[in-house]
Amino acid sequence: MTTPAGEWADVPGLVEVTEQHRETTLTVEPGQLVDAALHLRDEHGFTFLSDITAVDFLGYGTENVSGFIGTPGGRDLNAPMTQGLQVVPAPKPKRFALNYHLLAIATPPRRVRLQTFVDDGESVPSVIRVWPTADWHEREAYDLMGIEIDGHPNLVRILMDDDWEGHPLRKDYPLGGEPVRFSGEE
Amino acid sequence: MALGGGRLRDEGLKSERLLWPTKGLSRFEEEVDDLEQRVGLTTLQKAVAWAQTNSMWPDTFGLACCAIEMMSIVTARYDIARFGMEPFRGSPRQADLLIVSGRVSNKMAAPLRQIYDQMLEPKWVIAMGACASSGGMFNNYAIVQSVDKIVPVDMYVPGCPPRPEQLVEGIVRLHEAVKAGVPPAYELRSVAS
Amino acid sequence: MTATAKRPLGRAIYEGSRIPYPIPTVLQTTQELWDTGDVMTVNFGPNHPSTHGVLRLVVDLYGEDVTGLYAVVGYLHTGFEKNMEHKTWWKCITYPERIDYVSYQNNEYVFVAAVEKLLDLEIPPKATWMRTLLCELNRIHSHLVWLGTSALELGAISMFWYAFREREQILDLFELVAGYRMHTRYFQVGGLAEDIPRGFYPEARKFCDWMPRAIDDYETLLTRNKIWLERTEGVGLLSAEDAIALGQSGPVLRASGVDWDIRRDEGYLAYHQVDFRVPVFAEGDVYSRYRVHIEEMRQSVRIVEQCLDRLERMEGEPWIADDRKVVLPPRHELHTSMESLIHHFKIVTEGFRVPAGEVYTAIESPRGELGCYVCSEGGPKPWRVKFRAPSFVALQATATCMSDALIADMIAIVGSLDTVMGEVDR
Repeated sequence: MTTPAGEWADVPGLVEVTEQHRETTLTVEPGQLVDAALHLRDEHGFTFLSDITAVDFLGYGTENVSGFIGTPGGRDLNAPMTQGLQVVPAPKPKRFALNYHLLAIATPPRRVRLQTFVDDGESVPSVIRVWPTADWHEREAYDLMGIEIDGHPNLVRILMDDDWEGHPLRKDYPLGGEPVRFSGEE
Repeated sequence: MALGGGRLRDEGLKSERLLWPTKGLSRFEEEVDDLEQRVGLTTLQKAVAWAQTNSMWPDTFGLACCAIEMMSIVTARYDIARFGMEPFRGSPRQADLLIVSGRVSNKMAAPLRQIYDQMLEPKWVIAMGACASSGGMFNNYAIVQSVDKIVPVDMYVPGCPPRPEQLVEGIVRLHEAVKAGVPPAYELRSVAS
Repeated sequence: MTATAKRPLGRAIYEGSRIPYPIPTVLQTTQELWDTGDVMTVNFGPNHPSTHGVLRLVVDLYGEDVTGLYAVVGYLHTGFEKNMEHKTWWKCITYPERIDYVSYQNNEYVFVAAVEKLLDLEIPPKATWMRTLLCELNRIHSHLVWLGTSALELGAISMFWYAFREREQILDLFELVAGYRMHTRYFQVGGLAEDIPRGFYPEARKFCDWMPRAIDDYETLLTRNKIWLERTEGVGLLSAEDAIALGQSGPVLRASGVDWDIRRDEGYLAYHQVDFRVPVFAEGDVYSRYRVHIEEMRQSVRIVEQCLDRLERMEGEPWIADDRKVVLPPRHELHTSMESLIHHFKIVTEGFRVPAGEVYTAIESPRGELGCYVCSEGGPKPWRVKFRAPSFVALQATATCMSDALIADMIAIVGSLDTVMGEVDR
């Protein structure tokens, strides 16, 4: 749920602050991502970038989720086939999300998630000059999800073959593989 | 020794019955016995086969989890040095046996074939583990569904990962098959489609 | 902010930053060296005995000096994350184990912990302590495999056999508990899959009594060994600032002087209830990383002993949570209770559902910070799972560590970063 910005109010490009499961997520505009990153690194002490995760929200909350019991008030124990869910998935603003998981190596340590949403075809500026470790993470986001990163010095495929077509982790990319053949069949 | 003119079943092939004395012949043993009668190797060929199996050096082709279990067959508890196989050669030109241990991704398929092609005949391939034998639990875009699409395989060892004893069993069965006269897989079949 | 940043120990290992520019992970030969015409490009191909798996390094050599380095990964890309999106939450647990195939219990734990965080599930203490014990045994296992293979590559061939001798003992313990040596799939969402079998505690005690003497053996062979010191001291330097900028964690970070350990600083499982020391060395070279690994093994044995002390008094307690919407009911109840039967049926066929949301859980795996990002849609299958693999990040530091290194040092450095290619490529 959205919380008041509080200590994060001075982060450039801040759209929303959410707190869930004891984790803070700062949503920022993609254009101001580098400014937000520099601010968090220099002013708030988040010198360590743990991870960059790209998520594809195509079809989020629409199919294969029969039986959402969601009521704004919480669990609806009488709704059939429910298993007691507590939160209805809110629709996401755009198709892709890039999550930057940051850590401040301090006493006490703090973690925050910097999140930005982009559409297919939109690009995101690179944070490689802020945290050099972003190099391979951004390449992976490009390779597997197809998110263009502006300003990355070496944006080539990293995990797939160099001449692979398509971006495997997208939701419209098939799982692949072969149908299993059984020995009794012809 | 099968060299002496006796049959393998009396002299060599007893791996299962060491653990299970009252067990009868297994299918594998019957088939090898059958083959041995039909192929009818000459004494010279038997001598060559004996020499090949007792010194079949593997190539270091460890890919994933199975590689860790393959490393442990070299260690003191499972010890394949008693089969003459503990020098794992780094160069495929010096190796006889390619144990493909682990999942083969599409990117790795070309190097795998190159390594196999660099090995000198006679050469054998063991597909170790579920991923090498059939793609394992990874039926997806990234993993080659069975390494026999890339190289012809002589022995499949199932497991995820196979225990070291399972791999040693596979190796011993390969040795028995070679001593019985089974030619290496590249003479029998090509790669799967 | 009120938090105080941690200052690195010791003096600066080198001035400034050695991270290459423009690409931080690629060492590039200077144009003047190219012009001499004596630079040779060598491919340490994916199949190499010393690269710890399928890593390809394209190296430019000027004589014996390494002047250029480019790492190519992806030869073991398995598509774990995509596969997991198509399996129910239970069935997913077998996948993370195979990502980092040397420290599999830690992988299982991070995924299960992320799911439990989304579910807000409370884990019974017996399961927490047993998980701590198994994760620490796995840490010793991972360090033994590292030690055996790294020493083997540097020429200390007999270390391989000694390290794997103890490894067999640990695998015997895993087999006793879970039925299989590797990839045990013993952690379940909610606790453990089965109760701890009888006879485990005495066997684990025997191992704990033996292990410190074995570690003394390893130290006798290597720690003051002149050849080992020549090959590892002063090689592969990485300063604390560069290490943090490059996202290093675990032994590599602690060997560079930064006192950061998720077990002690953030805490998970039962680590805040056990007493252990976190080894930190300030030299930032391969030898420091070796010392960190050895000391961590000793501390892990201490943790295992303390876990055993607690677990021996927990006989008869539950080993899995009680929430029937997520955890299977005990089998004897299926004969008498209709609800249990229905719950069992629903959980086994459709799978339990995890509320929508996203979490990032990080633990201290033997290689460093292992993180798991889980995004759930509310259904029986995950929407997105991503693993932050410490080896993926550690390989990025190869170029920085290799500034003025010789080709023989390259093997030592790549080995000391303790990479497992399954993690790197996922």
